[in-house]
Amino acid sequence: MGETSSDENEFDDWFIESLKIYNNIHEYQLEHPTRVIEWTAEKTICVAGYSLSKNEILELLLPLKLFADDNQGLCAERDFKVVHGGFSDGAVHCLKHIPGTRCVVTNDGFSSKLLVWDLGGDDCDVIKRTGDIQPKSASSDKGVKIASGLTGNPCILHGSQISDIQLTELTSGKPLYSVETDTPEALSSLQFVSGSVFLACACNGDLYVGDTRKHSAPQQTPAGGREGGHWCMGVKTDLSSSDPSSCSVARLSSSCQVVVSDLRNLRAPMSKAQLDVQRKTTSDNFMNVTWAPALDNCLAVSGFDGMVQIYNTASWRPELMEFQPLFIHRGHMMSEDQFDTSSAVVTTHVWHPSRPKTVLSAAVDGSVHVWDWVDKATASC
Amino acid sequence: MPEIKVTPLGAGQDVGRSCILVSIGGKNVMLDCGMHMGFNDDRRFPDFSYITQQGRLTEFLDCVIISHFHLDHCGALPYMSEMVGYDGPIYMTHPTKAICPILLEDFRKITVDKKGETNFFTSQMIKDCMKKVVPLNLHQTVQVDDELEIKAYYAGHVLGAAMVQIKVGSESVVYTGDYNMTPDRHLGAAWIDKCRPDILISESTYATTIRDSKRCRERDFLKKVHETVERGGKVLIPVFALGRAQELCILLETFWERMNMKAPIYFSTGLTEKANHYYKLFITWTNQKIRKTFVQRNMFEFKHIKAFDRSYADNPGPMVVFATPGMLHAGQSLQIFKKWAGNEKNMIIMPGYCVQGTIGHKILNGQKKLEMENRQTLEVKLQVEYMSFSAHADAKGIMQLIRMAEPRNMLLVHGEAKKMEFLKDKIEQEFSINCFMPANGETTTVITNPSVPVDISLNLLKREMALGGPLPDPKKPRTMHGTLIMKDNSLRLVSPEQALKELGLNEHQLRFTCRVQLQDSHSDSDTLIRIYTHLKSLLKGYTIQHLPDGTVMVESIVIKVSSSAEEPNTKVLLLSWSYQDEDLGSFLSTLLKKGLPSGLSSI
Repeated sequence: MGETSSDENEFDDWFIESLKIYNNIHEYQLEHPTRVIEWTAEKTICVAGYSLSKNEILELLLPLKLFADDNQGLCAERDFKVVHGGFSDGAVHCLKHIPGTRCVVTNDGFSSKLLVWDLGGDDCDVIKRTGDIQPKSASSDKGVKIASGLTGNPCILHGSQISDIQLTELTSGKPLYSVETDTPEALSSLQFVSGSVFLACACNGDLYVGDTRKHSAPQQTPAGGREGGHWCMGVKTDLSSSDPSSCSVARLSSSCQVVVSDLRNLRAPMSKAQLDVQRKTTSDNFMNVTWAPALDNCLAVSGFDGMVQIYNTASWRPELMEFQPLFIHRGHMMSEDQFDTSSAVVTTHVWHPSRPKTVLSAAVDGSVHVWDWVDKATASC
Repeated sequence: MPEIKVTPLGAGQDVGRSCILVSIGGKNVMLDCGMHMGFNDDRRFPDFSYITQQGRLTEFLDCVIISHFHLDHCGALPYMSEMVGYDGPIYMTHPTKAICPILLEDFRKITVDKKGETNFFTSQMIKDCMKKVVPLNLHQTVQVDDELEIKAYYAGHVLGAAMVQIKVGSESVVYTGDYNMTPDRHLGAAWIDKCRPDILISESTYATTIRDSKRCRERDFLKKVHETVERGGKVLIPVFALGRAQELCILLETFWERMNMKAPIYFSTGLTEKANHYYKLFITWTNQKIRKTFVQRNMFEFKHIKAFDRSYADNPGPMVVFATPGMLHAGQSLQIFKKWAGNEKNMIIMPGYCVQGTIGHKILNGQKKLEMENRQTLEVKLQVEYMSFSAHADAKGIMQLIRMAEPRNMLLVHGEAKKMEFLKDKIEQEFSINCFMPANGETTTVITNPSVPVDISLNLLKREMALGGPLPDPKKPRTMHGTLIMKDNSLRLVSPEQALKELGLNEHQLRFTCRVQLQDSHSDSDTLIRIYTHLKSLLKGYTIQHLPDGTVMVESIVIKVSSSAEEPNTKVLLLSWSYQDEDLGSFLSTLLKKGLPSGLSSI
């Protein structure tokens, strides 16, 4: 086949391996990288650029082939369709869709202003800005974390530190709730677990539980492992259960440790693990940990390098031990162009809400992958 | 105002039929002449009544240009040229000229023989149509007539596909046809220079998509072939002789060993013969920026791919076979299909579009029972896979092409305006150009701003430069004096003196004189001084001189004072000025008629 460099060999090896380890895999190249992937409907996602000047927000329709279960062979359609697009003057660091509406809320990661957008319907494909929310106690320049309300009137929970967490009604901009505490800890993740109960994870790993119906200070739980560093969280909610505390929280640290806790007993973490990751990037910007919505005990982790790792937490124990991933997606590091793959970093990943093993991931080079991995343990030989 | 008109022909908003009319500099050009594959009636042809209600099209069109051999770009060509009537030149690249008639004939056979259509072109019409074809080479300017010239650029996409530049004087339009911006295994990517056309015309079909990578499509192909062969099944891949077939062969050849595949791969001989026939064309067109070592090998010297013999179809065990024709409508691929269709371990992979009426089309629509010619029913149990390998530019590709060509305006055809507003905004913002999206049958008029080149004489240039002042700045135009000479086909700007000399004319001077009477008791020379002082105080900013010869000059206007011996107090002022100073001259005479103020000092 002529001369082949070792890079090409590595690529070819992965390419051949991919035939077995993925059911399906699609790879797309956006013009500009995104650090957000947000589901806006069963078949559409939103992505947006994060450069310092003008950026695009795109709503993409996933290819038909992914959904044509029985007749997949007869469907040749493999491309994303850009169904709506708009322009943002600043970066988009955080983008959340408000369920039951065609609205998304964004923040640029520097200021405290939240921008509200209308994705548009069938008659127009332009995403338009409809307003903004300027939180009252606008404190920092750290940027704001956002969580969308799960039930009731469209509303947004937002904050840049524990003390300025607020719930704002979307249409009126009226503040409905604010946290009663002075804790100035910077926020890293925010998420509702029920209509009124929410979790806030501080950058130092401390977890806070709040209730928008009560005006008491949120309960604080320190992080399991106290070695400092930066932390983020992923929450698995079971909305079908009426008990809001039947949910698992995973906290990921910048030293590649995960602490899994159950909301019913946050003080005693259920399990911990040291992940098998060699950090390639020094930034904590892109750290991300998520639970698979349609699988039990399945976590995905990314942000330390160009890979997305999937772990099975069922065998994890309360004592810290090292564990190997169930699956590693290396696609973002494999490039046929002369791109320097050692600088590949995955910026974000999300799970498909219902298809059990389908994951979407994005990286700093603008690539977006949609992949459906094969669990070797359960796959038939 | 000079303008270019663009009209995509046909009714409705659908994609699937390309035929665009362009009127530029008094010339009418038809770009592509495609068939709409979804209709069975006259809607499948473009609506030529836009050009003329009845009669032939020859006198209304200066030329027809076909971008590539896909039926949605050339399928209606014989209908247009032989049934509606057109005798002028039809331009296309050499490979397109070679391959078009084959596809048209296949298409005709399927439509007439299989579907029993009557209002359709005949084989003879296809031949007569192709006689009107003038082949194009890449990057070669062709003069259609004195004023209209065209040039073809490499488009990628399929063998022989071209993007075309149409130029009349200093106005030009570039039509992309179908193109792609990323190379694949046997074709390069589209390329064009910074030709800055007034309009860049492109399909909008894929403009709002983001393409899945080539390697994922290839992976899917390899995976399906591998899985079938692993379970002992046979894979049939119906292909047209050239193009996709080579692409897939190279792919299989590249990975067969790595994947430890033992099953044989065959290429039917019918394919080899046809392909070798076009080998020379193929090589020139794939030489453009290919990435791997494809060119260095003979097209069919594959290590793992062997020639197929009809009898092999009955061999037990797994195998992969490439056979023609691509839509399973006849020949070897259909024969093999009949043998293998009943076994669910087998697979057929369709790498492209199939025309209505063919078996290929039916199985891609999920049909499981087929009625064959001998009234027998064929059960389709094998796995059917539809894979699209055709290379199209997507949203990113369009932006790249615009960056390359730098058009002054962008025009997208075959799209719904309300679904393309974001793209329109994006193009307008990034490139500061207008983006038009006409519906089928709608005419877009683009006002052009053609630049008229004029040669300036060196003397004139030097003279203007010598006048001093700031250097010419594109943002600050400076007025200059010159004479424009339009002779033959050239335009020259020269100094007036040179123009007069060339034309053999004498320059005439026009001077005005005027007499103004004043009552003044001073002496003539004192009156002159008073006039000088008066003007000096009023006309600040003008050059006013009192000359020793007894005159006052205001710019170039001369003022003299005289009086007669009989009436020494009646001064007669003689004003004289040249045509250029007419305004100032009349102003001065009006001013002086008012007389001199009394308080003026004489010295």
